[in-house]
Amino acid sequence: MAQEVERYRKPTRILHWVHAGAFIALFLTGLILFIPQLGFLAEDSWTRLIHRIAAVVFIVAPLIYIPMNWKTTLRGIKDAFTWGAEDIGWLQAAPRYYMLCDEEAMPPQGHMNTGQKMWWFMAIVFGVIFVLTGLIMWFAKGAAPAALLQWMVFLHDVAFIATGLMFFVHIYMSVVHPLVRPLRTGAWNSMARGKVSVDYARSHHAKWYEEVTKAKEVQTK
Amino acid sequence: MAEKAILYDAIRCTACRGCQVACKQWNENDEFIPIVENGVQAINRGSYENPPDLSPTTWLKMEFREYDTAGGVRWLFSRRACMHCIDAGCVRVCPNGSLYHHESGFVAYNKDTCTGCGYCIEACPFSVPRSTRNLLTGIAKMDKCTFCTTPGLDRIAEGWEPACVKTCPTNALEYDDRNELVAEGKKRVQALKAKGYSNAYFYGDKELDGLHVMYVLDDSPEVYGLPANPQISAATIAWQDVIQPLGWALGGLTLVGLGINYLVAREAKLTKELPGKKEK
Repeated sequence: MAQEVERYRKPTRILHWVHAGAFIALFLTGLILFIPQLGFLAEDSWTRLIHRIAAVVFIVAPLIYIPMNWKTTLRGIKDAFTWGAEDIGWLQAAPRYYMLCDEEAMPPQGHMNTGQKMWWFMAIVFGVIFVLTGLIMWFAKGAAPAALLQWMVFLHDVAFIATGLMFFVHIYMSVVHPLVRPLRTGAWNSMARGKVSVDYARSHHAKWYEEVTKAKEVQTK
Repeated sequence: MAEKAILYDAIRCTACRGCQVACKQWNENDEFIPIVENGVQAINRGSYENPPDLSPTTWLKMEFREYDTAGGVRWLFSRRACMHCIDAGCVRVCPNGSLYHHESGFVAYNKDTCTGCGYCIEACPFSVPRSTRNLLTGIAKMDKCTFCTTPGLDRIAEGWEPACVKTCPTNALEYDDRNELVAEGKKRVQALKAKGYSNAYFYGDKELDGLHVMYVLDDSPEVYGLPANPQISAATIAWQDVIQPLGWALGGLTLVGLGINYLVAREAKLTKELPGKKEK
């Protein structure tokens, strides 16, 4: 069996899929409000109830995860807010890489490449905006000034559009793009099983692979 | 069908509140009555107004105002209910067209299809719509004046005037073609001005492109508790006319972009793999 490196621990993977499920439920029950022809699905507020149940999952899942996985959380947040010259390297190489499948064009990447980091950054920022604006609309409706509530809807919509679009990009990049086929190699494996082959780690996340192997050496010493 | 409207003349109004009662009775909006027999202590709010506010079962309410003038105090009456705007904020934000313009121009709604989102409540420049809303589940239904088109109780379809107009003993409320009422209202305001009411105002002619409930006032709108310049809120415009079309455009571009990328990248990958037949 080929050697493998652990990429996402089990709690992280569970959080990912629980959050993905909640997001899809929230996305669809929100989307129908933008399509008048589908508005009948929202009649009698049932989708509002589903939206709220999914919202509770969306909020509670990370609240359970974070205190149990402090180190991973802190590293993740640090990663999301650490940007540098290397990210420009990714941006320059990205068109050749993703359009022409020129894998040599890409400079070595860390645990997350810049594209993944952008999505992760958006997930954090818009996730917080979603939760704050959503909670205000849920519990302050009627009590808060109408203008405030309207601007909350506006921000919720902005977050919806941004994350909704990136959600498609995310699915595309992780399971549809020709470079990630067949699925057994990279992204899918890392989130489904948590492990990727050493080959994949070395070719796609060279800097991260270096860190991991160094840490292992230190440990064994 | 000609555009219809209601004209309310604050000078003719005696605040008998017959309209308030007729509205409730015709539309079957029975409400728990807060009296001692029902276990509620009487509350003196310092006004003849009752109930204190519009509600899902109170679509029309008479307001009483005491207005200080140089010589003393004026007791002013005003009708509070949906204004049935031509440019209606509620219709703009309603996500599935439950709120719509009736063929006679006013704003009707289909309660069965209401999703309970409450956007109309926040978008209304006159704070008229009300909803029964469960705080936890968010299950809600909006209610407001239907212009007597409540399903099964549709007076307009029968060619009758709304219940409030029907019952008004002083003809402070009138129902007719909107054009006729605009002309009539302007005439009355001119007469008031001629009598020395220099602030007399005809409300509803131009506000929000015109209202379907118009007011003959002997003083400025603010004195009667009406917004002098009602507007569709900036948030409504930003969200309905900017963000939503932008969202659809970006969504379309994203899907097209991903499709093109897929075709180009697959081609590139195939040509790369073919000649050398490298094992991946």
